[in-house]
Amino acid sequence: MELEDIVIEGSHKNFFTPSVNFNAKTGICELSGESFLEDTQEFYKPLIDWLEEYTTKIKKPIAFLIKLTYFNTSTSRCILDLLNVLKDYEDDGGDVTVNWHYDENDSDMEEDIEDYMIDTGLNINIIPF
Amino acid sequence: MEKIDDKYDFSLYEYHNLLQQNILVSYKGPIDERIMNVIGENIELVTNDGNDKAKSKIFKIFMELAQNVWLYSAESLSTASGRKLGMGTLVIGEFGDAYTFVTGNVVRNTDIEPVIEKCEIINSLDRDSLREYRREQRRLAGTKKNSGNIGLIQVALTAESPLDIELTPVSDEESFFSIAVKIKKTGR
Repeated sequence: MELEDIVIEGSHKNFFTPSVNFNAKTGICELSGESFLEDTQEFYKPLIDWLEEYTTKIKKPIAFLIKLTYFNTSTSRCILDLLNVLKDYEDDGGDVTVNWHYDENDSDMEEDIEDYMIDTGLNINIIPF
Repeated sequence: MEKIDDKYDFSLYEYHNLLQQNILVSYKGPIDERIMNVIGENIELVTNDGNDKAKSKIFKIFMELAQNVWLYSAESLSTASGRKLGMGTLVIGEFGDAYTFVTGNVVRNTDIEPVIEKCEIINSLDRDSLREYRREQRRLAGTKKNSGNIGLIQVALTAESPLDIELTPVSDEESFFSIAVKIKKTGR
């Protein structure tokens, strides 16, 4: 069975939809832009399911890239869920890289990424831009 | 032109003058994502006096507190399609080296008690403990529908100031609840 890529083009309208590019062949998964959604769970559930599928069936290296400039607190819980899937994969021997890019002026974001590291136990490369 | 006899029981001029005093944006009415979008853009326009950090902080605080009014106000409108739009008031002021952001809405007394307790906990914590509290609440959020609690912690962390809360009874069952935060123009 083949896992289909997820490609979502982000938009900044009344709600903010992040851009998503999950590639099953390369294992490069990118989440960027802004996240403020009408139904946060509904948006992130397929992404979490995809990662679970990839990490339990395809089992190749995965590079997870986050470049979110804004996300609301309901999104923040879904990000934790995504990272926890990656942590489980790493604990199972999976090859996981997480790069989180943030605006170097945004010290609140930097703190938040550090907190995600503490919470998940994952090593996150914190990269200012 | 004919005069309207009973137009208002207050003077619009006085109201206007009151708003002239350091107030950059004020809004009273229903809130949903469309209204948030318009006010959000307004905030971008009027907060040019601070640095980009302050601007981004105000925006983030606005997003959380406006969503709380939308979702948790006891006063609401329902649209034709059945969506609920919470009613509330929102004011952004500028006082010297800081912006002040205030939201207020009517709440049921029974609903607001736990929120006030949360605010008191938040105000008693230093930054590191507040971050720990956010991590804990975020872990718990999956089991509860209400994510408003993390929102308040987030607001306090972003503002780097306590949540200045006020509760004014309006009836036996309801009160007007407001949250004010101060955002320094030159934050971290």
